[in-house]
Amino acid sequence: MADAHAHGAPDAHHDSHDHTPPFFVRWFFSTNHKDIGTLYLIFAIIAGIVGGAMSGLMRWELAEPGVTILTHWTAANPADVQPGEYAAAYNFYNVLTTYHGLIMIFFMVMPALIGGFGNWFVPIMIGAPDMAFPRMNNISFWLYGASGILITTSLFVPGYGSNLGFGGGWVMYPPLSSNTGNPGPAMDLLILSLHLAGASSILGAINFITTIFNMRAPGMTLHKMPLFAWSVLVTAFLLVLSLPVLAGAITMLLTDRNFGTSFFDAAGGGDPLLFQHLFWFFGHPEVYILILPAFGIISHIVSTFSRKPIFGYLGMAYAMVAIGFVGFIVWAHHMYTVGLSVNMKAYFVAATMVIAVPTGIKIFSWIATMWGGSIQFKTPMVWAIGFIFLFTVGGVTGVLLANAGIDHYMHDTYYVVAHFHYVLSLGAVFGIFAGWYYWFPKMTGKMYREVLGQLHFWIMFIGVNMIFFPQHFLGLQGMPRRYIDYPEAFAFWHGISSLGYAVTLVALAVFLVTMIDAFFIYRRKAAANPWGEGATTLEWTLPSPPPFHQFNELPRFDKNAAEFH
Amino acid sequence: MKKILSGLAGLSVLAASAAYALPEPGGIDMQPAASALAEEVHFFHNGILMPVMTVISLLVLALLLWVMVRYNSKANPVAQKFSHNTLVEIIWTGIPILILLIIALPSFELLYKEGVTPDGKQVVTRGDGQTVDFVFANDFPESRMVKRADHLQVLIDTGAERRILKNRKDFKVEGWGEPDLVVSLNEPAPAGSSVILRGGRSTQNAASCPMSKRFIDACEKEVVLAPTMTLKVSGYQWGWTYSYPDFGDFEYSSNMLPEDQTTSELYRFEVDNRVVIPVGETIRVTTTARDVIHSWALPNFALKIDAVPGRFNETWFRAEEEGVYYGQCSEICGVRHSFMPIAVEVVSRPKFEAWVDSQRALAGLDPMFIDDNVKLAQAGASAAAE
Repeated sequence: MADAHAHGAPDAHHDSHDHTPPFFVRWFFSTNHKDIGTLYLIFAIIAGIVGGAMSGLMRWELAEPGVTILTHWTAANPADVQPGEYAAAYNFYNVLTTYHGLIMIFFMVMPALIGGFGNWFVPIMIGAPDMAFPRMNNISFWLYGASGILITTSLFVPGYGSNLGFGGGWVMYPPLSSNTGNPGPAMDLLILSLHLAGASSILGAINFITTIFNMRAPGMTLHKMPLFAWSVLVTAFLLVLSLPVLAGAITMLLTDRNFGTSFFDAAGGGDPLLFQHLFWFFGHPEVYILILPAFGIISHIVSTFSRKPIFGYLGMAYAMVAIGFVGFIVWAHHMYTVGLSVNMKAYFVAATMVIAVPTGIKIFSWIATMWGGSIQFKTPMVWAIGFIFLFTVGGVTGVLLANAGIDHYMHDTYYVVAHFHYVLSLGAVFGIFAGWYYWFPKMTGKMYREVLGQLHFWIMFIGVNMIFFPQHFLGLQGMPRRYIDYPEAFAFWHGISSLGYAVTLVALAVFLVTMIDAFFIYRRKAAANPWGEGATTLEWTLPSPPPFHQFNELPRFDKNAAEFH
Repeated sequence: MKKILSGLAGLSVLAASAAYALPEPGGIDMQPAASALAEEVHFFHNGILMPVMTVISLLVLALLLWVMVRYNSKANPVAQKFSHNTLVEIIWTGIPILILLIIALPSFELLYKEGVTPDGKQVVTRGDGQTVDFVFANDFPESRMVKRADHLQVLIDTGAERRILKNRKDFKVEGWGEPDLVVSLNEPAPAGSSVILRGGRSTQNAASCPMSKRFIDACEKEVVLAPTMTLKVSGYQWGWTYSYPDFGDFEYSSNMLPEDQTTSELYRFEVDNRVVIPVGETIRVTTTARDVIHSWALPNFALKIDAVPGRFNETWFRAEEEGVYYGQCSEICGVRHSFMPIAVEVVSRPKFEAWVDSQRALAGLDPMFIDDNVKLAQAGASAAAE
């Protein structure tokens, strides 16, 4: 147990002396890592509802062949849609796929895992009073707010013709994203939005790196640091190294659009593929940015509820480092059909498959952590176990897609959609819910009703599998991505997939009920450590919720003790 | 007008062919393979990747279920404290590496078969009932020379049947890897038959090879001949332009047929003007685009190649059977991305030639394939008419 190692006062007695600033100063000028973390989590929940509603519209439209649903938003008289009015609905669908992707990636998963849980728990886990640069932390969050305003505005200004929003996919490939394909201001606003989101993430990443390198409690060496802090450290390096490349690419796109350059315009001597290389040099590390923090969270949950230290701690930490490193040299596996030379494809096949090895180490180490343990199936643990299995399924289809020889068949089909939703929608999102249920008592000081958390898990588990498993079949049958309408042969599995969305919607309703219940009906106070002896990281030594300022006196670690995680 | 006429010409060929390759309603597998290479892709999926993926997923599931049953807090109230075991860590690092190698070897082979346009060459000689020695000019670049038994196929076509001869049993070869390769038949080729020598490094497993033989790489290899024609594909918002540079560079555009002009099964697949290509011949496909990026895809041939403005991408395929094959644009390209399908009609050589001539006529070009006698007769008739 933590107390065995940590000799710092848990600050419980400070509780009553906390001087929290007045409301406006506290939440708008906030420099407190926990408050900023809370803001990020609220931001992520709102973005998740918006992004989820967009996927709902798409699944509703795709439930049956024919374009019948989105016309309700685009046609003057939805009961009698004129032939000329369908184009607006097609464009709306493209806009939905684009913004669903961007919102879920940049405004839901990243703020939740890095901004939210990272801000809340990295300083506490390493025994620091706050982040290294509290004011920079504040500007990081508010840049995200500004970025959110820009992307929302971009939805409501013209992109292609008089159609609102940019409908060219979250990858924004030119020439579809240049003046040729989308001359309207929607794309410019989107570029500016991503610039701000990127700047925010870079500032946040610098903050995490500095905090983790300089503010660990005395005695906590890097090799004794909790795995969640490790995962955020690796993620922060990926952000700092990859986001400037995205920023460069979209800046070139911006100048192509507005200042007459032709970086990506073949007619002016440029090359559209240059953008793809730059984008995926950012984009591939980005997918690890989305999943690595979830890896860290899952490690803590598995260890806590197995009441056993994490198996192969160093292997786990360095597997994340390896995934992060290799993640930078595999980008063109997203580009097997663009016309790369065969030798180049062969290299990217080999490099990509290497990632399976450290990922396998993580999966097996989680199972080995449970092996010999005394497992309690509390809500966070069932989410974590669900994560491990679903991430495995998403992982093996990733190995398939790594092979260019078969990716020529699968590329841009629903097989790819199924794959990345298994690792993100079922991986990262299950990681977020696992972390939410794990840390909810700590963050709010309240318990939720266990049965509701479990119910949420089971309905969601069934729902998301119903949505995404049939999409493998659609992909194998050749159904291309980003299609508003499809031949009748694909109708059956699309129908099942849309039904799965309805089930998932019920699960999210259960989630909302669980939260409302926890705050207003159940109102059970959470103990400092509700999870028992397995929870050994520092946050469980603080009261729930933690005091406004923690660790006024730093906890100390015995250098000779076993690692502290 | 020209477009409409060429459309009619396309449809007239179509009326004769009945086989359509379409996705299967509720299907859970890949679309049927229509080429020997696509068969290899199917084998790679069904024979190698699917078993590996299934076994790994089930193994992880079984391990999870086992620890949940055996090590839950009721079954095991006191947790053990171990957190290291070097041996199992080496095992679960090493075994995945081996599995990846098992996947990688066929993967690279497949990738190079898809990515290198075949350059095989065919030499046909008339048999006279006596000659046993036939020469194959091994005039490939050094790295592509015929050097091994798999690189050479010898066939005898008597008109009634076509027989593939077996190396050593039916013939001997001298001069592997040298400029002139001499094939000595054990028995002379019958008079009037054709002796066909096919050589080249581009080989693939015969489409008919059963899965069991593919596992041990015991399939009969066939040499894939160099392309007989190039199909130029150009994508635009939202349709395709096809042109045939080897046949006078005639060009036509291909757009999706509206709902009321096709069946419910073919709607969103069928086009006004299909691509027409000859069966059994290697087709080189080059793609480009006029406005934004598109992607030309044909699932039956496991083929997908982006059409990028300012670039020419190249790939190839060879259809084994006549029929109509469908694909759909596979790179988001704007508003009507969902409605720019691809339809390829594979016909016999004579039908293809007739179709080429009809297209040439529409483009104001002389026929190319019509018999010389017919040409002369036509010339005479037109002279008389004047």
